[in-house]
Amino acid sequence: MCKYQLVIALTCALCFSPARAQDKKPPSTANAPVSGQSRDLSGVWMLDRPRLITVVARYWTYEFNPQEPSMTAWGEAQYKLTKSSFGTRSYPVAETNDPVFQACTPPGFPRIFLHPLPMQIFQTPGEVTMLFEWDSVSHPIHTDGRPHDKTLGPLWMGDSIGHWEGNTLVADTVNFNTKTWLDRIGHPHSEALHVVERIQRIDHDHLVDDITIDDPKAYTKPWTGQLVFVLKPTWTLAEQFCEEQDTFGEIENKETAPAK
Amino acid sequence: MRKHHLILALVFAIVLSYSGTAVAQTKQPSEAPNVLSPDQARDLSGVWMQDRPRMGTVLARYWIYELTQEEPPMTAWGEAQFKAAKSSYGTHSFPIAETNDPIYRSCSPPGFPRAFFHAFPLQIVHVPGEVIMLFEWDSVRHQIFTDGRPHDTTLGPLWMGDSIGHWEGDTLVADTVNFNTKTWLDRIGHPHSDALHVVERIHRTDHEHLVDEITIDDPKAYTRPWTGRIYFVLKPKWTLAEEFCEDKESFQSIENQETTPAK
Repeated sequence: MCKYQLVIALTCALCFSPARAQDKKPPSTANAPVSGQSRDLSGVWMLDRPRLITVVARYWTYEFNPQEPSMTAWGEAQYKLTKSSFGTRSYPVAETNDPVFQACTPPGFPRIFLHPLPMQIFQTPGEVTMLFEWDSVSHPIHTDGRPHDKTLGPLWMGDSIGHWEGNTLVADTVNFNTKTWLDRIGHPHSEALHVVERIQRIDHDHLVDDITIDDPKAYTKPWTGQLVFVLKPTWTLAEQFCEEQDTFGEIENKETAPAK
Repeated sequence: MRKHHLILALVFAIVLSYSGTAVAQTKQPSEAPNVLSPDQARDLSGVWMQDRPRMGTVLARYWIYELTQEEPPMTAWGEAQFKAAKSSYGTHSFPIAETNDPIYRSCSPPGFPRAFFHAFPLQIVHVPGEVIMLFEWDSVRHQIFTDGRPHDTTLGPLWMGDSIGHWEGDTLVADTVNFNTKTWLDRIGHPHSDALHVVERIHRTDHEHLVDEITIDDPKAYTRPWTGRIYFVLKPKWTLAEEFCEDKESFQSIENQETTPAK
């Protein structure tokens, strides 16, 4: 009788093994399950990063990977022409040639991930859609089996189709126009850009998006970055349009203020 | 059978005259036998497109640019604003090069309820605490909070306003306030002030049809509230496409589409 109860107790202890011990830092994905916890990605999400102070350390506010991706000669030339207000070689906002700052043009994809405002995912049969607070942009991923639509002209956000591998949503996006920067620091892309995302909800409160940038015209090989989001159960998206100069100024202030 | 149709036609004529619209509908909200259950009736989800008879003249196709065919009753201030607007629509239209429509000049957001008049589909989704209308045009959103929150008086003036809603039976009643003054009410240049208060009564009349009865209440611009209706039909196979004002090509093709004769 005693042994039996012990076995039950041990089994139950394993059942309740903690999935989220850490509050402060994003969970390590090294031991994450091969596939996410469930196919329910819905909710309002915010980029979840440790609060570091230096601009260089806070690379995720303007680029996908702290290491410089390996650019082609064409890519390097494009990059040199950009005058970003972010990063280590930044220009004042008044001198930047960032198309978003200059004319409130759509930020495009995947740049939109780097604007530090929340994102909401909802799912309908046939689509997983990301709604971004920044400029009300939308990234629908068609999961109804349709192929890429070759009849479409080049798009700001690309044409995105996806399928599930276990509980990982694999999204494939092509057909971009050339009016956007890849990120906020001015890394380039061409119309040949091909973005693959592997999106999984590794636990109830965390979403991970592994993004692969594949653009043979701009980069010598595909390269990857990782975005980590935390669930914000009490948040709803607010209105945010680039045209509002005040809001724009506020965002700048938020991003340059010392971390709390 | 004949009497039935006659009675229906009379009822409909009465309803139309009461609502102030003068549209001769060839297609009425369905009285089809597929009555929606309460759950179905409160499900507004889907991709919807404005559902209007195809008539030829610009004047008759008023719904492309305004909520009602009749001129709403404007205050002196309202009239002055309206006179200053140079729209590329309607009977007093200007060429695009001469219009002072803020959208054409600088691709600024269309605002609300103007977003309804851009001839593109909208998608309605239900998420916890909200009913969201996603417009294909410029991907703007009309977020109707249904979680019981009051209007948020800490927000500055908004392009799309601050919208809260509740259900009255099968009708979603949405109340929107707190607008900025950077938009036209519609595409022909009717005015609104920061006092604009929009009330919608949104009702799914059958599986394939939705009606949004919109009341414009703006004492600074209009001498009394006035109401119009927008009718939508379900497009089960459609998904929203990308549509950004910045694309001059698509902008021109929209113009071309709207001026070609109806099919």
